[in-house]
Amino acid sequence: MPVLEISDLIGAWDPDTGAHLPVGKDEVVARLRAAGDHHAVRIVERMPASGGFLEPEAVDRLFVRVHTELQWLGEELRMAERFAELLRPLVTAARRAGRGPLRIVDVGCGIDPVTRALAASGTLGRDVELIGAELNPVLVAEATRLAEEERLTCRFVRRNALTLAEPATFYISSGLLHHLPAASLAGFFGAQDRSDTAGFVHYDIAASRLAPLGAWVLHRARMREPLGRHDGVASARRAHGDAVLLDAASSAEGMRVFLFTPPRHANPCCAAMRPVIGVRPGLIEALRRGLGRRARGLVGPSDTGQEPGGAGEGTGG
Amino acid sequence: MTWIPAQEVTVPVALAGLTVADGAFAGLRAATGRNGRIRRRAYIVTAAGRGAAVALAGLAATAVVSLGDLGRRHQALTEAGARTLAVVAPYAALAVLSLGAYLLLPMREGALMVVVGLGPLILVRPIVVAGAVVAACLGTRDPVIWAAAGTAAAGVLTVEPLVRRRWYREPL
Repeated sequence: MPVLEISDLIGAWDPDTGAHLPVGKDEVVARLRAAGDHHAVRIVERMPASGGFLEPEAVDRLFVRVHTELQWLGEELRMAERFAELLRPLVTAARRAGRGPLRIVDVGCGIDPVTRALAASGTLGRDVELIGAELNPVLVAEATRLAEEERLTCRFVRRNALTLAEPATFYISSGLLHHLPAASLAGFFGAQDRSDTAGFVHYDIAASRLAPLGAWVLHRARMREPLGRHDGVASARRAHGDAVLLDAASSAEGMRVFLFTPPRHANPCCAAMRPVIGVRPGLIEALRRGLGRRARGLVGPSDTGQEPGGAGEGTGG
Repeated sequence: MTWIPAQEVTVPVALAGLTVADGAFAGLRAATGRNGRIRRRAYIVTAAGRGAAVALAGLAATAVVSLGDLGRRHQALTEAGARTLAVVAPYAALAVLSLGAYLLLPMREGALMVVVGLGPLILVRPIVVAGAVVAACLGTRDPVIWAAAGTAAAGVLTVEPLVRRRWYREPL
């Protein structure tokens, strides 16, 4: 049976106007019931509805509450630091290679704590434009409000990140990949193989036997919203495996792809979140230099245990 | 000559200190996930202060319940407090260790402490408080000590929901 996340089912928006589209409560309940998820059914049954449709304003408020709680969880897992660890050497290399303008686009960013934290720290340099792209207009508005309140130099758009007119130097995402069906991953990564794009860093939950238990503990302890607690565990259950991600990421044919500190190559508990990275061949050496000893955590598709990204890994331009 | 405070002093002081510190962390948890800003030091300090203040109110309620006829119960109250400490002190030590590891260890190892340390400790906290009540009441049939233990436990466990309901219902 499919593992469903409630948040994927309760919101729908007109792609052109961003206006709410009606979402039938019974339809959502039926899908969750068909998936055998009675806990989720109870959560949705308690949600306010009128005329058989979920109340849009209540759904909006719920999304903001859940994503704000999720932000704190991501901060405790130090997600912005994890991105900065990889983006700093990548951006430096792209800058030296004369790529520009430098632009980082966060795909499916939610209220985008990562982009705002990167903007607040200034760790990537003032010449790097930071953009968050998200289809949910309420989350875009919330991210914009928060950034304006703190006068952060980043912006957010209600768009599909991969169809933005401005190409990204690097695409990033956090907790997005498990929302995509395995069959569409290759298309997702392939679409980032644009001439102006130097690479991508997509963090997601590492699929492991411990992941659902770890997710349960984390979300139970740190989140209040039943939807957030439910979807957190569902996310861990539906996370894509390392091989699936590497295989799909290889669709970006102009890039070399790696996982960084995946569970098989690190303490499995420390690898609760691990990224799949795509890099133009000319930037790999700079990434390795920037990471120093941690470059041993880069694991390519054909890795057999020896240091990846090293000799024989095709680090030339 | 070194002056070592008697148990009659150390036990209540330690319990009060732990209660206020626990209240501050409960205030923090109540405020968790309600402010989406990146820079929020003042917000965190305020939340901890609110938690500590509510915990102090709980302490005051416990004092009102337990301090009647103090002269006759002094020894029994101290012993009950020492039994309570025997349960909560190891928990507090683990919490301090986990927090220290979270703050001091490298990024990934530090984040691991949220999963294996701080998270589980938050989940078992009500059980530890219940165990402390049972320990306090062991070997005594004095209803005042039972009432004091119950009041203290209720005070500790209600800080987070009270602070949340009062100040942090919705995101700011």
